[in-house]
Amino acid sequence: MIDLDLIVSVLPVLAAGLFKTVWLSLLGAILALGGGILIATGIERGPHWLRRTLSAWTLVTLSLPLLVLLYLLFFVLPEYGLTLSPTTVGVAGLGLYYAPYVSQLLLGALSAITPGQFEACRAMGMAPWRYMPRLIVPQMLPLLLPSMTGLMIGLIKDSALLSIIAVHEFMHAAKAAISQTYAPLEIYLIVALAYWLLTSLIDSLMRRLERRMTRHST
Amino acid sequence: MSFIQILVANLPPLLEGMGMTLLLTLAATLLSWVVGLATLATQLSDSPFIRIPGRLYISLMRGTPALIQLFVIFFTLPLIGLGGLPMLAAILALGLNSAAYVAEILRANTRVVGIGQIEAARAIGLSPFRTWTRIRLPQLLRASLPALINEFTILLKTTPLASVVAVTELTYAGQLVIARTFESTTILLATAAGYLLIALPILLLAQRLGLSAFKQAGGRA
Repeated sequence: MIDLDLIVSVLPVLAAGLFKTVWLSLLGAILALGGGILIATGIERGPHWLRRTLSAWTLVTLSLPLLVLLYLLFFVLPEYGLTLSPTTVGVAGLGLYYAPYVSQLLLGALSAITPGQFEACRAMGMAPWRYMPRLIVPQMLPLLLPSMTGLMIGLIKDSALLSIIAVHEFMHAAKAAISQTYAPLEIYLIVALAYWLLTSLIDSLMRRLERRMTRHST
Repeated sequence: MSFIQILVANLPPLLEGMGMTLLLTLAATLLSWVVGLATLATQLSDSPFIRIPGRLYISLMRGTPALIQLFVIFFTLPLIGLGGLPMLAAILALGLNSAAYVAEILRANTRVVGIGQIEAARAIGLSPFRTWTRIRLPQLLRASLPALINEFTILLKTTPLASVVAVTELTYAGQLVIARTFESTTILLATAAGYLLIALPILLLAQRLGLSAFKQAGGRA
């Protein structure tokens, strides 16, 4: 039987790792959202070459494993004089990888808005930066929320990969805890449980938010 | 040496790794369909004692990183006398993980077969089993095909995880070559190209056939 005191002794290390994972995932998600908005705008409004480039990158992220992208950023960039810290590579990798997915969701939600609304806004002389946040985005949000939640949960789970390039997040903390306790199975089960609680919590919160948002719509 | 020379000199281990990646992907996909269908069956059951464990399985598999699932399976196998089999651990982990997603895909499409068809099948005396194999399953699979193709490519993108338990699939094969030659740029680009070579034809064909499920879901750690 496993020594319970030993497990308790590594809990602070694990908690710090979990905190780091939440933090890194949040940064990655913000980056992916910003990138996704840029990519969606580029695909909708950009010149032909930009559209082609962004579509190609989208296709690449659909077929390239995240781990390979992380390795590319981590090992190839330094050869061209750009040495980044593992954490920077990790967050940038998550952002780059998830941005096209975000853009596809945004474009999908945008296509659900009837064109007449855009025409009406323009006819009244409103600029995009005025009618988008006031009229279009509020309508897109309920459509986006479930799929964005799925993406966010995917990103949190994918952030576990950052441990492979030595980013000090939850999985990395788990490995440190294992080297102290020699109890891999117990530690991994605790870590899995924590990930599960975290993703379940986000899932249920977002569901509640979605219900609030769609309360008045039919 | 030039890019091409390095590539040609190290092609055999990379191709072997690509074969291993394909084998891993196909074996795990097969497992995910079998377990996915079984999980779907639990979800359609009237008994909560069958439904709730199935639900829990789906939730656990979708709520935790595949990397941890792989480690847990890798460290559990020796306890049941199956130690030292990283490939088995990888197939089990990836397959069981993907099965939860397959079950959800199928469940979302069970409604494509209307109650009228099921009643008609019963009226002409088809057994419940035959109703499933002859009437429900073919239509269910056809409706789920885009999402299943998408899931297949996601599974392919998850296979590099097997490198952490030393399965010599494409990514790990590349890492081994790099450890020997220090040509990280060339070999990593070749590794990336290997994945594109497998996935792009599938994605493009799916697009051409109108079976593209370009929806959500990224990779899976």
